[in-house]
Amino acid sequence: MSLAGTLLFYLCATIGVGSAVATVTLRSPLRAAVALLLHIVALAGLYLTLSAHFLAALQLLVYAGAVVVLFVFTIMLIGPDAEVPPNARTFGVRALGVAVVALLTAAAVSTVVRISPQTPTLAGCTAEQGAECGQFGGVGALGRVLYTDSVILFELVSVLLLVAVIGAVAVARGRTTKEAEAAKARRLAREAAEAEEEAAARKLSAEVAAHGGH
Amino acid sequence: MHAELALTMVVLLPLAGAIINGIFGRGVETADEKSAVGKLATGVVAAAFFAAAYCFYVLLQHEGEPIRAHLYDWFTLRLGSHTIPIGVTFVMDRLSGVMTLFVTGIGTLIHVYSTGYMSEDPSYARFFTYLNLFMASMLILVLGSSMPLLFVGWEGVGLCSYLLIGFWFENPNYAAAGKKAFIMNRIGDFGVIVGMFILMMATGSLEFSGINAAAQSGALKGTFELPRPEMLGSAAGLVLVLLGLGVVAFLRKKVNLSPLAWLVAAAVLGGALYVLFVVSPTVSIATAACLFLFLGCTGKSAQIPLFVWLPDAMAGPTPVSALIHAATMVTAGVYLCCRLSPVFMQSPTALMIISVVGALTALLAATIALVQNHMKRILAYSTVSQLGFMFAAVGAGAFTAGFFHVFTHAFFKACLFLGAGAVMHAVHAHGDADVRLLGGMRKHLPVVRWTFLLSCLAIAGFPLTSGFFSKDEILLGVVNAQGIEGYSPEVSWFVFGVLVLAATMTAFYMFRLYFLTFAGEYRSAKAHGSDEAGHDDHGHGEHGYAEHPHPPEPAIAWPLRILGVGAILAGLVNIEPILHVLHIHPEGEWGNWWGHWLGPVVASAGEGLENGWIYAAIGGTAAMAVGIGLAYSMYGSGTRMPAENPGAFHQLLLNKWKVDELYEAVVVWPMRWVAEFAAAVDKYFVDMILAKATATAVEIGGFLFTRVQNGVVYAYGTVMALGVLGVGAWFFLPHPALTVEKLEGETASLRAAVGLGYAYRWDGDGDGEFDSEEFEGSNTLERTYAAGERKAFVARLGGTLVGAVGGADVDITLPTDGSAVTLRDSELGALWAKSSADGSAPVPPVLRVDGDEVVVRPNDALSGRDGNEFRLKYGESAQLGNRTLRVGALVRSSVEVQNAFGVVRRQSKDSVIFPAEAEHAEARHATVGGAL
Amino acid sequence: MISLGHYLALATLIFGLGAAGFLSRRNVLIQLMSIELMLNAVNVVLVAFNRFHPENHAGQLFAFFVIAVAAAEAAVGLSIVISLFRLKKTVESDRADLLKH
Repeated sequence: MSLAGTLLFYLCATIGVGSAVATVTLRSPLRAAVALLLHIVALAGLYLTLSAHFLAALQLLVYAGAVVVLFVFTIMLIGPDAEVPPNARTFGVRALGVAVVALLTAAAVSTVVRISPQTPTLAGCTAEQGAECGQFGGVGALGRVLYTDSVILFELVSVLLLVAVIGAVAVARGRTTKEAEAAKARRLAREAAEAEEEAAARKLSAEVAAHGGH
Repeated sequence: MHAELALTMVVLLPLAGAIINGIFGRGVETADEKSAVGKLATGVVAAAFFAAAYCFYVLLQHEGEPIRAHLYDWFTLRLGSHTIPIGVTFVMDRLSGVMTLFVTGIGTLIHVYSTGYMSEDPSYARFFTYLNLFMASMLILVLGSSMPLLFVGWEGVGLCSYLLIGFWFENPNYAAAGKKAFIMNRIGDFGVIVGMFILMMATGSLEFSGINAAAQSGALKGTFELPRPEMLGSAAGLVLVLLGLGVVAFLRKKVNLSPLAWLVAAAVLGGALYVLFVVSPTVSIATAACLFLFLGCTGKSAQIPLFVWLPDAMAGPTPVSALIHAATMVTAGVYLCCRLSPVFMQSPTALMIISVVGALTALLAATIALVQNHMKRILAYSTVSQLGFMFAAVGAGAFTAGFFHVFTHAFFKACLFLGAGAVMHAVHAHGDADVRLLGGMRKHLPVVRWTFLLSCLAIAGFPLTSGFFSKDEILLGVVNAQGIEGYSPEVSWFVFGVLVLAATMTAFYMFRLYFLTFAGEYRSAKAHGSDEAGHDDHGHGEHGYAEHPHPPEPAIAWPLRILGVGAILAGLVNIEPILHVLHIHPEGEWGNWWGHWLGPVVASAGEGLENGWIYAAIGGTAAMAVGIGLAYSMYGSGTRMPAENPGAFHQLLLNKWKVDELYEAVVVWPMRWVAEFAAAVDKYFVDMILAKATATAVEIGGFLFTRVQNGVVYAYGTVMALGVLGVGAWFFLPHPALTVEKLEGETASLRAAVGLGYAYRWDGDGDGEFDSEEFEGSNTLERTYAAGERKAFVARLGGTLVGAVGGADVDITLPTDGSAVTLRDSELGALWAKSSADGSAPVPPVLRVDGDEVVVRPNDALSGRDGNEFRLKYGESAQLGNRTLRVGALVRSSVEVQNAFGVVRRQSKDSVIFPAEAEHAEARHATVGGAL
Repeated sequence: MISLGHYLALATLIFGLGAAGFLSRRNVLIQLMSIELMLNAVNVVLVAFNRFHPENHAGQLFAFFVIAVAAAEAAVGLSIVISLFRLKKTVESDRADLLKH
């Protein structure tokens, strides 16, 4: 790997970790969303060092262009309430959770660091690998796989997205004033019918009790 | 083939009727639907009768060769190596043939009668379902080839009896009567089961043919050991506690019983204890089996002490009383005795007890019947009394006579019950009819009157009627019982006298009933509206019956006519004794058809007294004449009524000798107290302590655990992370899991587990120094050990254990310091310790290590020599009895595993090695002692 | 030189940050963002392994699907957040506790 690549890795890694820390620590969700955006861009850079050009573009399009924007829209829709005031009530549980995760992460990172010297290092394309090597991770190479071997999975994912869209509408749409009134009327009618039934049952049991023991 | 099919149909047809009516009979209401139900139920029983008749015809054609119909194998019992197969097999032989014929015949008539009698009842289909089910059960009882199958039928008829007694279960008294019958029968059933098992253990068979054959060849001659005197204390204590509880109940005015009755109860119990524990007679197997079976008979056939359910059973519809509680089911006990007559003949003691109990039952029931005022109640006590006659005969070894009385009694008692039912039906009496409100029925119901009269004559023993023949046969049989070896003549005469007395009473109360019902004027017509009978102590509270009795319909009249004729003529199948006395000797055997027919299948006592028939004839006829004469003189006019204010003794009889009250005090009340104690334990210990405490513990636990469900999503996430931490902790340490994969001779393959980032280093010879300081080995190691690497010698004991089959190899590691190891019994075999010739505890073999050799001092008792130590080198073997001793070496290999975290763990594995194959050539066979 | 281990260590660290964020923040929005962080960390591992085994594109393909699923998850998750806000006037995850006990 070239020196530029190495530099890019360290730059993106630093920004990625720093923005991740900012995402999970900033109080304001809007700021956190911006930190997330930065994180995503940093990861896109990492993908470039890994010859995943198409994924880097996709990362920017989908995450930065869609998901983060969705977050920002939601935060705007909710308004100032999107920021939750501090509350020490469950501090203990949260501290425990962070401690456990920190322990696990430390163990995992130390393991990885220990085995790290044995792992392969990156190298550029060599002559033996031929012209194909430069194609790795490009739109053409990944697109070919997507539309041949994985076409069914690809279509399934589109169905999943459709379902998600319909689900999101169903969950978040709410009611018009008219619909809300109609639903309230239906609920009142049902409660009245239930009360009537219950009264009839109570009357019947009273009668049975009165005539019992014959 | 056809006969077998027909025999199967005899049982299956009523069963099918019961199933069809039971499933499809719900909601039957209209007359048409009822008619269909009745026709189906009657049809299947009639068809069963014709099938039975066909089978009987075939039986006659083949000189009584039994017809066997095997349906399927039921199960197999194992008694040690002996197996007892139990099949569902129906057998019609001479005895069951006759029984089947009259059960189905009378059953058909009663079904026809019921279609008329029950026509107004809303539960019409239920009634016929039960009735058909009863027929099926009764036929299984009669035709079953083995004790278990008979017991199926025995329980089945008991169930149907319970269901039908409580048929009108809306009335709690009727439901209680059903329960009473069921419980009494259960007590008896216990006896049947115990008797059955005694017979099974003694004869190794459950088939009647096998049991009877074994009994005749003396299989029941052995004796039982009775409970030891040491048990007297606890048994007596138990009885005293129960009696004490009864006394408490009495003092608390819960039970109305005279001190005399208490005396009787105490005397009976004390007597039983005295006989059991003090006299402690030697009881033969035959006696025990017979007495237990007879206990079953006293339940099913209403004998002392379990007879009290039968009079109450009259709560059921009258056709039920006629069919089940007079003609068929209650005679099952007699049938069982006849079926197993060779067994009963093995025990004169049991026979004497049976006939005395039978005679006393006959007398007791007759005395009660003398004063009763309800038609069915009188008939019920009469049935108990007649059953007593039958058992008196059976006990006298006169099985044919007893069974003959079953046969004739079925006719006249069914006719009497149906007649009583017809009267009740005519006057719209429900449950039972009070004779004080009847009278004059001869004008209103001529058909009923004539058939009733014929049956009364028969039961009283009027000459040439069926009852005359059977009753005289019984009396003759009782006198002849003196011919049985071991049967005391005094008992025989006592039974005879009691029976004649009971017969006199029978004639009296039957004609009392007849005159009160049919003679004179119809009293309810006059008493209508008056309050005269309001003080009726049976609580019916009737103020008289319908003013104008309506004549019986054809479905009721025709069965009466047929049974009435049968009551007169049924005795003719056994006319021979009379002809014999009259010195008429007919050609062939038609005169004594009954005796000749049953002779081959039923045991007989023979003639014990010359001219015994004279006693029988005189006794029977005189009893009949005196009884009828007395009844006529007292009630013949139809105007005299039972006493309004009965005397003390009369009142005691009216109260049925207070037997029910006695049982209430002696059995029911103590039981109730026990039950209440148990209920209190349940309430205060089980419910309060066990259940409540458990519930509280669960509740507290639940409360605590709901705290965990706090609805905070990151708390749930934290718990999950803790789980991950738990799983991760396992990965933090390396897990060598060292195993020996293969061990052949001196070569072993070892394998350590693989894992994330694992590295290995081995110590193959186990000397503590690793083969390589670096962690760079593979996870497997194959190694051939050298003898010099051994940690210790191992003695392996193989071969067969002494005195046992097989035996696992045992490895004994010998201490390196040369101290001795003594072999244990468990390593040599359980019987090794007993193997010394003189019985003294033998000296066990001892092993110890001496340098490169193992020194063996074998067991002296085995070797028969002293001090003959020998030495074995590595790989050599020797014999110790059946056990092989072989010397091997213990070697050890270790591995250290390091994982990605740098954590290191070590594990060692020991193996026992022997030199490869060559050792047999060098083996020194130091055979010790003789093989055991 | 940059080795596979570097990428794995980085991904592990980001995943740990995401997990810690999910477990420590009461704001549903930020919890969702933490989930996105964890998904991204997984993607880095997939892509990195693929780079060192470039015979096929299995890792990148997997990352592609993970991105698609993450988009769907974000859409549904945020719509739930909006519903929750309508109902409770808050985006505090502690308050969405109707199903507890």
